[in-house]
Amino acid sequence: MTSSRQVSRCLDDEHRAHLELLNRVEQALTRSAGADVVALAASLVLHLEHDISRHFDFEETQLFPPMAEAGDGDLAALLTEEHDSIRAVVEELTPLARAAAAGALEPAGSVALKRLMLELVERQVAHIQKESMALLPLLDDLLDEEADRQLAFAYAAA
Amino acid sequence: MKPPARRLAGTFLAGAGGRLLPASLPWRFFGAAVVFHALAWLALLAGADDWTGWHGGLGWPLAALHLITLGTLLSCAIGASLQLLPVATRQPVRSQRLMAALWWAYVPGVALLALGMGRAEPHWVAAGAAAVLGALTVWGGLLGLNLRGARGMPGVVLHGWGALAALGLLGLSAIALVALWLGRPLLDAAAARGLHLLAAAFGVMGLLVFGLAYILLPMFALAPVPDERRQVASGATAIVAIALAMVAAFGVAPNALRLAAIVAGALALGLHLQLMRHTLAAGMRRDFGRALVLMRIGWGSLVLALMLALALVLGAPVETFGRLFGIAVIGGWLLSFLFGVLQRILPFLASMHAARGQKRPPTPSALTFDRPLAWHLGCHVAALGLLAAATVTAWPALAMAAALVGLAGALCFGIFFAVLMRRLQRARDGGNRPPS
Repeated sequence: MTSSRQVSRCLDDEHRAHLELLNRVEQALTRSAGADVVALAASLVLHLEHDISRHFDFEETQLFPPMAEAGDGDLAALLTEEHDSIRAVVEELTPLARAAAAGALEPAGSVALKRLMLELVERQVAHIQKESMALLPLLDDLLDEEADRQLAFAYAAA
Repeated sequence: MKPPARRLAGTFLAGAGGRLLPASLPWRFFGAAVVFHALAWLALLAGADDWTGWHGGLGWPLAALHLITLGTLLSCAIGASLQLLPVATRQPVRSQRLMAALWWAYVPGVALLALGMGRAEPHWVAAGAAAVLGALTVWGGLLGLNLRGARGMPGVVLHGWGALAALGLLGLSAIALVALWLGRPLLDAAAARGLHLLAAAFGVMGLLVFGLAYILLPMFALAPVPDERRQVASGATAIVAIALAMVAAFGVAPNALRLAAIVAGALALGLHLQLMRHTLAAGMRRDFGRALVLMRIGWGSLVLALMLALALVLGAPVETFGRLFGIAVIGGWLLSFLFGVLQRILPFLASMHAARGQKRPPTPSALTFDRPLAWHLGCHVAALGLLAAATVTAWPALAMAAALVGLAGALCFGIFFAVLMRRLQRARDGGNRPPS
């Protein structure tokens, strides 16, 4: 992505990093390689506990309100709904991923872990798809240089 | 703050939720397409003995062809355009009653037309054609209103206008052919047939396939919208190619114009494939599975079709090469591409319909029964191969085998569709259930 805004570039970099992790999770699950899934669980826990909430909170508090003011409240509402769906998956998945990372996951938990990981991959990829193609180009037009600079600082400090 | 100016595919993704039609409106066209697809292979089975000696006249092979073109390809194009174009062009959804009425005129019309063709009843064909042409006129009007109000996306809009112009020529050539069968010729038979084939396969469906690919591929691959100037260049060259071939169909410098049309067509295809390749290379999700396999089969088939067209201009036997050209264009290119798109877009649309009123709606993959799609792919490729073999060997048993394998594939796709509908219904019932 060639964006003129720092915020868009930051979010895009994060999207790419998230997609890379999600692709690795998807491949490990498709190959049914249990060892790979356990090895990825630690990275996934970090992603679930830190990255997702930081990314979503920033968008909801800093980006969606000005979008709604500029007449793009429908997009902001749609993305917020998707955040809520993903948060619901994260809530179920996090304890299982943490147990898997610690090597303490029961066999019944493994099935649920796999199901929820696949659901997370699908929901997040679709969500990133919408943000990359709708939200980020919109930010390029929505933000001026000063607003962009301030938001970039705010995100770095979050 | 500057006014927002979104990118096309993003606009589609972001706006789809707010501009969803009631599920029954687009889905009835997709459902009809699934049924007509199976009926097409059944019609070919009924006419398998006639396949090798068929010269384009009334009979079950002609019925099979129209069950694919009108029944499957155009039904899907209508259903998809009713749902997708208002989203992509950010237009209001127009009269839903008119859309429902469209189905009631179009689908029975196609059924009657195909039955009339199969049983060689020209008056049935005329009645069916009247209903179909009436419905297509209304659809063309809706399409035109959407295109007229579209902002930006010049490449897609150019392809849309080209398809709309071709729809007019398709109607005129259809009237000429029906008049011919009723014993009142309006046009030379070969010219009318040539115009009809070019307007339908390349003009309406082909330009829609090229144009919609600029919305769908970036969406599937998570890629930027392809260079719009090149989209326009490809579309304009394709339109010139079709126009040249149409003039040649009337006997005007046929070899020179057909050769020029093939060169222009190859140029348009080259530009289009280059844009598709860049889109896939720049995408964050470069492999979208079986759907991409089918799309690649489609593009490969179009390359093959142009090579067959060149062979025809250079004097290859029309009997064999003409029919192989038809199989490559209709079955290989258009049908393969359509099924590639459908198996991605239908679960996506279903998940959006299921999402209404739900906090954690089902994902597209949760609504998809995947295994029949794998069987469908195998059957689709095998059926086309067998049909090509039947053409080359002039052996009716191979045409029969092609019809049976194609029918099996169509039923597999039908299972995928039925399960999708059932899961959508369950998801919606679950979402509407009051909390206990």
